[in-house]
Amino acid sequence: MNPASANHQTYAQRLWRHFRADKFAHYGLGIVIALFIIAALAPFLANSHAIVRVADGRITFPVLLSLEPIEWRFLIYVLLAALIYFFRRKLQTHPRRFLLLTCFFVALVELWLGFSHPINDPSNDRERPSSFKLMPPVAYSPIETTPDQFSPPMWKHPCGTDSTGRDIAARMLHGARISLSIGFVSQSIALLVGITLGGLAGYYRGWLDIGVSRFVEIIECFPSLLLILVVINFTGSQNNMFCIMAVIGLTSWTGVARLVRGEFLRLSGQPFTLAAQAIGASDFRVILRHLLPNALGPILVVATFGVASAILIESSLSFLGFGMQAPTPSWGDILSESRRYIDFAWWLAFFPGLAMLVTIMSYNFVGEGLRDAVDPRLRIK
Amino acid sequence: MTTYLIRRTLLLFPTLLGITLLTFLLIRLAPGNAALLKGGGGESGGRAMTAEVREQTIKLYGLDKDPLTAYVDWIAKVFRLDLGESIVDHRAVAAKIGERLPLTISLAGSALILSYLIAIPLGIIAAIKRGQTVDRAISFIVFVLYSIPSFAAALLLILLVAGGDYLNLLPMYGANSINASEMGFPAWVRDRIVHMILPVVCLTYASLSYISRYARVSMLEALGQDFVRTARAKGLPERLVILRHALRNALIPVITVFALELPVLISGAVIIEEIFSLPGMGQLMFQALAARDGPVIMGITTLAAIITLLGYFIADILYVLVDPRISYQ
Repeated sequence: MNPASANHQTYAQRLWRHFRADKFAHYGLGIVIALFIIAALAPFLANSHAIVRVADGRITFPVLLSLEPIEWRFLIYVLLAALIYFFRRKLQTHPRRFLLLTCFFVALVELWLGFSHPINDPSNDRERPSSFKLMPPVAYSPIETTPDQFSPPMWKHPCGTDSTGRDIAARMLHGARISLSIGFVSQSIALLVGITLGGLAGYYRGWLDIGVSRFVEIIECFPSLLLILVVINFTGSQNNMFCIMAVIGLTSWTGVARLVRGEFLRLSGQPFTLAAQAIGASDFRVILRHLLPNALGPILVVATFGVASAILIESSLSFLGFGMQAPTPSWGDILSESRRYIDFAWWLAFFPGLAMLVTIMSYNFVGEGLRDAVDPRLRIK
Repeated sequence: MTTYLIRRTLLLFPTLLGITLLTFLLIRLAPGNAALLKGGGGESGGRAMTAEVREQTIKLYGLDKDPLTAYVDWIAKVFRLDLGESIVDHRAVAAKIGERLPLTISLAGSALILSYLIAIPLGIIAAIKRGQTVDRAISFIVFVLYSIPSFAAALLLILLVAGGDYLNLLPMYGANSINASEMGFPAWVRDRIVHMILPVVCLTYASLSYISRYARVSMLEALGQDFVRTARAKGLPERLVILRHALRNALIPVITVFALELPVLISGAVIIEEIFSLPGMGQLMFQALAARDGPVIMGITTLAAIITLLGYFIADILYVLVDPRISYQ
């Protein structure tokens, strides 16, 4: 950041300065980013396949061959986000070209993943003879069963094992991906729906506003977990990840819609909006270029808290047995299984509980810091 | 004010209609129905009964009618205060809800009251000592509590104090001991209270953190007002400034939130009831969903919606009553 005076800072720069001053929020953001990196690297941290294996004079990378499409996806997109972050200065000069390039890249990745088939190799490289091998820190796969059942935490299984001898550390590392991506994607869906409906209601007012407001009230009157249970129970017996993301997203947009509506009502009477309309800007342009950027701060706050609550909802659903399909590891699923052995297997409840606490708390700290940064009234003088 | 009340009351009905219609359609449009489940379930459904019996069952539950007609029928019955009967055991829905309501209300109600009793002093102390160690400590603890999923806390509490390899102080699950029916009344009450301690603790800590944060912000806002400065300037002791001037104004929004928390009384305890095997509303809803028991689902949703709307209604009116500056003209 160049040492410009406070008057020359952009809104984002000012937010970032206030945000960084809040120690907890800063740490929270650090933990969230670390969690995403851990989730992206999960296959390399916990896997029954070796990362590098040298046998018969050939070097192979068994982990890479066994990666599932979703694991590739997570790895590639987190890498992409890191690249964008590091080259953000350069990208600012050609925003449109950059957007096009990103879309093209994402399409390419999805196309490739659509045709790729992972090699489903149930064997492991732990005992396989080789002249050199580099195993991941946790040498077990999340769905691999072993003979040591209910092993308490020890060197081989840092978080213990469950009733079928599956390694909890491996399940938790791979489960992080589910919690994080569900939080992220379901909140994006909620933002999309909430901003669209709330924005339309706040900008056009009149009947549209009355209709949207009633609809928001109807959705909010359902106790949230009941609504989700009703919807998820009727989406069919197979709950895949996208289904759960969609259900959580489609039931949690009301807060965003209310907020955006309020902000748009407030902003659309202000001189800069009137000026934009007076020089003939289209409604679409006024909404997208003038109203939305001004409402972005509070929206970001609500979205951050929303991610925390989406993670909580997903784990509640898995806990109640409405979550992901059985062998897929997820934190709520481990907790749910721990109920049957709760009288002795403390590690089954403690580690996933701790992981959830840390994740949700970090998001909440980030949200709290953002709120303080956005709201000038709460700023410490 | 009267016009406002009337308009506000009239607005309740379209919302209520919308909620019930949405639930009804969700139930009807979902794959699989109660009649097929009765006949053995499965994707093809009802293999265990003949086509004739299946037709009769579908007809009996009105599943052959188109959803809108069925909805109108349901509404007509509700206006006669008849919620219909359960598909699973043919008992009246009202009776099924009635026998489970007291447990849930006592559980969630005591948790709600308890959390207010603890949260408000906490929030106020934090606000008065703003920025000091006390404030930081309270805020941090409350924040951690807020982030612990209630079911994880419940499991660890069970592990630690209820049976298991560690302390064995409290019962693990259930609303009463097995021999509760033979107990005298005082012993029965004691037994119930002992069984309720863990569920109430789990329900309390989460709402406690939410309310105390709210109380803190509200108190901070009140302390920044001009009338507080005036009170200090005229030389009132700090205790009086806080108790008589700031606190009274700070409590207004906190109390109105109470009304918004009312729906928790019906539905907030789904997970906790499930963990502790308590026969309350949450468990009923859970079972009804699994059995596609339409009338019971409708009954609970309607009740929950009515109470939620009532909560909003009361909150709106409380605002006007406690704060004469607000008026709905």
